[in-house]
Amino acid sequence: MEWVETTAKTVEQAQEAALDRLGVAADEAEFEILEEPKPGLFGRTRGEARVRARVKPAQVRPKQERRRRGSKDKSKGGAEGASTDAPSDQQPASDTPSDEGSAPEKDESTVSASSNGSGRGGQRRKDRSGNNKQEKAMSNDERDPSPVSPQEVGDAAVTFMDGLATAFGATATSELQVDGTELDVQLNGEELGLLVGPGGRTLNAIQDLVRVSAQRRLGDHETRLRVDVAGYRARRNEALGRFASDVAASVRESGSARALEPMPSADRKVIHDALNEEDGVSSRSEGDDPNRRIVVVPA
Amino acid sequence: MSDDANNEFAGTAVAVLTHIVKSIVDDPDAVTVEVDESGNRPALNVRVGDGDLGRVIGRRGRTAASIRTVTRAAASKDDVEIDIEFLD
Repeated sequence: MEWVETTAKTVEQAQEAALDRLGVAADEAEFEILEEPKPGLFGRTRGEARVRARVKPAQVRPKQERRRRGSKDKSKGGAEGASTDAPSDQQPASDTPSDEGSAPEKDESTVSASSNGSGRGGQRRKDRSGNNKQEKAMSNDERDPSPVSPQEVGDAAVTFMDGLATAFGATATSELQVDGTELDVQLNGEELGLLVGPGGRTLNAIQDLVRVSAQRRLGDHETRLRVDVAGYRARRNEALGRFASDVAASVRESGSARALEPMPSADRKVIHDALNEEDGVSSRSEGDDPNRRIVVVPA
Repeated sequence: MSDDANNEFAGTAVAVLTHIVKSIVDDPDAVTVEVDESGNRPALNVRVGDGDLGRVIGRRGRTAASIRTVTRAAASKDDVEIDIEFLD
């Protein structure tokens, strides 16, 4: 189970070097391409190919089962892994809404409920194709110790964003959408490039600060708050989706797993969702933030 | 407002930094931001009221890092590079 990691000018050379290190033939090893020697679309560029390899474990890969279910119900997944854990998390939480012990798990159960409502275990209903937003909103409302309403949190976020745009000298206004506990704040206007920054870094920092200003300052733990400026995230998500399709195609073709650049959880979710729609591949995440990364494996 | 702001040194950065910090503390009136040009790089010194420094800095300095990122973006509009210091 020991992984070795090698770098070389090309992927092939790196793989050969890895085989030398392992002392096995190519068909006895499995590879993950960590970096290809060309500029990556998202993240830093490196001149060298980086792969890791290990001697193939004896048993068959147990992932098949999971993948098939994911493609069958066509839901927007990503939380697929979570949904297998969900029944144990979720069931007690909804039976005893005010159970404080379940509070730390809230984020996770919210996510899994959003995948397809499969957390409801036995009582899976006919609405699998349909709208699970309601269900999610309900499960949040059931335990609502938050001292402020989602609307108030959203209003604070809008006040913050409008003031920020003014301080930047930009002509812009923000709009708030409230959907249960989901809050979306959109800033639109002129000259907003500075507020997005390279790779969206300034926007991510702004979103952080909006959350401190609106959620934390008001003591809110219930809402999920997202901020976009000038439609940047929407465009980036489209680009991430196309990128995911390209990666899926290359993994299908090569039959080798491929690790992507580390990226934030929101971006990972977009990629997982996109890959879930692709045949012949599945994905998982490895490592810890901020170096957590997706690994795309042939299914 | 931005015209006024731009007449001063790092006016946009000061306006942005002041807005952010006032928006996240419990006591906005206690917030001061001053320009310190004594070092080899100009700095904006931020002071907040008792008990508010923790939230301004955040867990593992995460909020402070975000404040620096956004304020430096604003400073690029002023054509200056600045440090941001958080003081008791």
